Amino acid sequence: MSVSPIGRETARVDGPLKVTGRAPYAADYHPDGLVHGHLVLATVGRGTLRAMDVTRAEAAPGVIAVYTPFQPVRLINTFQGFGAENYVPLQDTTVRFRGQIIGLVVAGTFEQARDAAALITADYAGTPPRTSLADAGPGRSQDIVQVLAPGVASIDDVLRAGPVTITTTVTQPAQHHVAMEPHATTATWEDDQLTVYSGAQMPQRSAPAIAAGLGIDPAKVRLICRYTGGGFGGRSPAWNEAKLCAAAARALGRPLKVVLSREQVFTTVGHRPAVRQTVRLAAQADGRLLALAHDSDAEYPAAGGWPLIPAQHTSGVLYRTPNLRLDQRLVTLDTPSTWAMRAPGEAPGSFALETALDELAARTGVDPVELRLRNYATQHPVEGRPFSSKHLDQCYRLGATRFGWDRRPARPRSRTDGDWLIGMGMSTAAYPTDREAATVRVRFHDNGRVSVASGTSDLGTGAWTVLAVAGADTLGLPVEVIVPELGDSALPPGGVGAVGSAVTANTMPAVRAAGRAAIGTLLRAAVENPRSPFHGLDPADVSYRQGRLHSGRRSMGFDELLRAIGTPALDAIGATDPAQDSPYAFHSFGAHFCEVRVHRLTAEIRVNRFTSVFDVGTVINARTARSQFIGGIIWGIGHALLEADPIEPDGRYAAATMADYLVPVNADIPDIDVHWLGYPDPHISESGARGLGELGTVASAAAVGNAVYNATGIRVHDLPITLDKLL
Amino acid sequence: MTESYGISRRELLGRSGTVAAVAATVPLAVADTAPARATTGEVGVRMTVNGSVTPLTVDPRETLLDVLRERLHLTGTKKGCDRGQCGACTVHVDGERVVSCLTLAATLGGSRVTTIEGLARGDRLHPLQQAFIDHDGFQCGFCTSGQIMSAAAVLADGRARTDDEVREQMSGNLCRCGAYPGIVAAIQQARKEAS
Repeated sequence: MSVSPIGRETARVDGPLKVTGRAPYAADYHPDGLVHGHLVLATVGRGTLRAMDVTRAEAAPGVIAVYTPFQPVRLINTFQGFGAENYVPLQDTTVRFRGQIIGLVVAGTFEQARDAAALITADYAGTPPRTSLADAGPGRSQDIVQVLAPGVASIDDVLRAGPVTITTTVTQPAQHHVAMEPHATTATWEDDQLTVYSGAQMPQRSAPAIAAGLGIDPAKVRLICRYTGGGFGGRSPAWNEAKLCAAAARALGRPLKVVLSREQVFTTVGHRPAVRQTVRLAAQADGRLLALAHDSDAEYPAAGGWPLIPAQHTSGVLYRTPNLRLDQRLVTLDTPSTWAMRAPGEAPGSFALETALDELAARTGVDPVELRLRNYATQHPVEGRPFSSKHLDQCYRLGATRFGWDRRPARPRSRTDGDWLIGMGMSTAAYPTDREAATVRVRFHDNGRVSVASGTSDLGTGAWTVLAVAGADTLGLPVEVIVPELGDSALPPGGVGAVGSAVTANTMPAVRAAGRAAIGTLLRAAVENPRSPFHGLDPADVSYRQGRLHSGRRSMGFDELLRAIGTPALDAIGATDPAQDSPYAFHSFGAHFCEVRVHRLTAEIRVNRFTSVFDVGTVINARTARSQFIGGIIWGIGHALLEADPIEPDGRYAAATMADYLVPVNADIPDIDVHWLGYPDPHISESGARGLGELGTVASAAAVGNAVYNATGIRVHDLPITLDKLL
Repeated sequence: MTESYGISRRELLGRSGTVAAVAATVPLAVADTAPARATTGEVGVRMTVNGSVTPLTVDPRETLLDVLRERLHLTGTKKGCDRGQCGACTVHVDGERVVSCLTLAATLGGSRVTTIEGLARGDRLHPLQQAFIDHDGFQCGFCTSGQIMSAAAVLADGRARTDDEVREQMSGNLCRCGAYPGIVAAIQQARKEAS
């Protein structure tokens, strides 16, 4: 084994378990004595609970307990500051939004709990909720980012002066993560030790968050999430249902499982806020930017949540401009808690910016690819730092060639195929890579296996396989002998959270550090242990190579050594902590190209094909990276054409089921051509890998929208682009 | 203003002209479509699950999905929506694909049920299972059992030959990770191997 698996096609190591149904997810555990819980949610949009009648529920067959604000199980509100849910359920009678948790019924079976929950009635004193972003005025500014050229007093002066000016306002309603696995928690207590099975993107943060909610020592909580049915941001915090489940299990002294119904997922575990954005451009006649302003008003729930800031990593990164202003505002509404959703700010923000760029291209007559090259940024427009490794220009050129961009009709609505109008659009993607500390444990076992352990999580991202590939590469061993471990808060502290496309880039260096440290441990044991054939040698005379120790003519496998010295395993921890004051800005980039057809009579919109070329540094596993890119692009197609959950005046989501909230299905998705450049990032780490998991989601919606414009001559600014808006 | 409990939705809707600050007493689980029913009976049912005759006494409310998962601990079949909208719970009943969340167990006397756990022959993966691995036809894996069971029925049916036909036949199985191109490629590989 001398060929490194880095960058090759490695099949998912968790594949066999997943295709046979043997991978256990949170709701798949059946501890002895398990009982089932079902949540009760508020059915008014704002107000106060005056009373709840639980008598029929309590009398229903199999019911063990009913918890409400009037007969609560205690939870502690650990909210501090801003940027998270600011309440815990059942501790007061306030209804902050429709769909808030106001009760939990526990019964012997799922059916008994569900049906008893339906017998509960509630008496509310209600007031009308604030739900309409369209009706709300400008929100509160977060931080305003402004860069002005010398002598410019106000960006508005430049934006008015032109010579070419563009003002584009786009809107999108609430969107949902819709991970295939509904949030579920199975909680078991043994004495004062809690084990929670619950999908989590950051198990080592969710476990202490649950402990804090219960008021217990974080060391007493272990969270296990080896297999998690999708995250997309929606599993980054520990939500109230998990805390409530654990608290009720403690109160009852029995293992408890709470699985959200699909409808409950839509209001209790986060969504992407509705947002209205305006991009204003001033440019020369040749398309060179003179000013770029990007304002946003995003829904922000009174109950707290994650704030949407769509301009920071899009308009604040993508183009060179002498004048730039970003004003990201939040509008308080009585809506369910918001949370980061895959490319949280970047997906909506890039739709606004890249739609505006397409309008500028149309106005100036400059080809959209050429327009972007004319405004190419080689340094971060706000921070002034050079990008660590940027080859976006090659993404544009290679993508254009692969796609056949030269066949794009420059004039909208000028190419047809029978009854179909054909159009092409393109856009630019960028996503930052945060540099984070990471800790990994590498352990040699006497059975010839090596475990590589990280307290991170694999939501389908491919982290299981990345750990195996990284371990194999570091130790010069076949992928098959590496046993990855993740998805368990009890693993060594310091696992990288599965958020921000950060796991691979930040875990790779830690695997290398841990691998080297473990080899050092092995070599020390080899010379120090009297039963070792290398005993007494100078450590410098013993070397490790591809799983074997060598000294002169002596050579033995690490497993043989461990058996010889009677040690089942030897391990070491490796930790990395990159400096935060790098002179470089770390971003991944990409270019999307999309062809659509729109029916001349019905305005049905179909995506014909998609080509994307990415610049993400070193790719660790080609197979799972490709899937991440493709999945992200499919999210962009959904973003552009399907996904919407309008909210009604009473606070009810109009599309809070999987039948009503449309996500792409197989028949919506054409062939997708994905390619990456493969330049290692020389500055990020020795592995050269930046993040890629969310990048495909960025701006792919704009490529679709720009293609629809090219096909029809109609620019739709209010997402999703549905056929009624083209008729 | 009502202070009483248990008022029906019909009565509530009958009161018109409520003002901005209203008190409302409404049933809670409307969106859950759960029947307001609290009695339980028991029904004997004998089905064959993955080749084993399985006699059971079930609550008539129990779906095949919940019986598989909670009684038989065959948790490979997943509950994605419980409403027949996502396909994650797809299994075979008498050789046909069904969404097990909309199939009441009590109706399955004498039926043959095959789940993802019954698809492989011992340790040897079914060609579709291997093809899903080869083409990375999944990411998180939660929809995968349903995708594979659905695909097995589509292949047995023999109608889907082109990529577009496969896409159409597989569009009842949602995959939020977006593994659709890999799923189509996997099904085509298995179809070609079988022919």
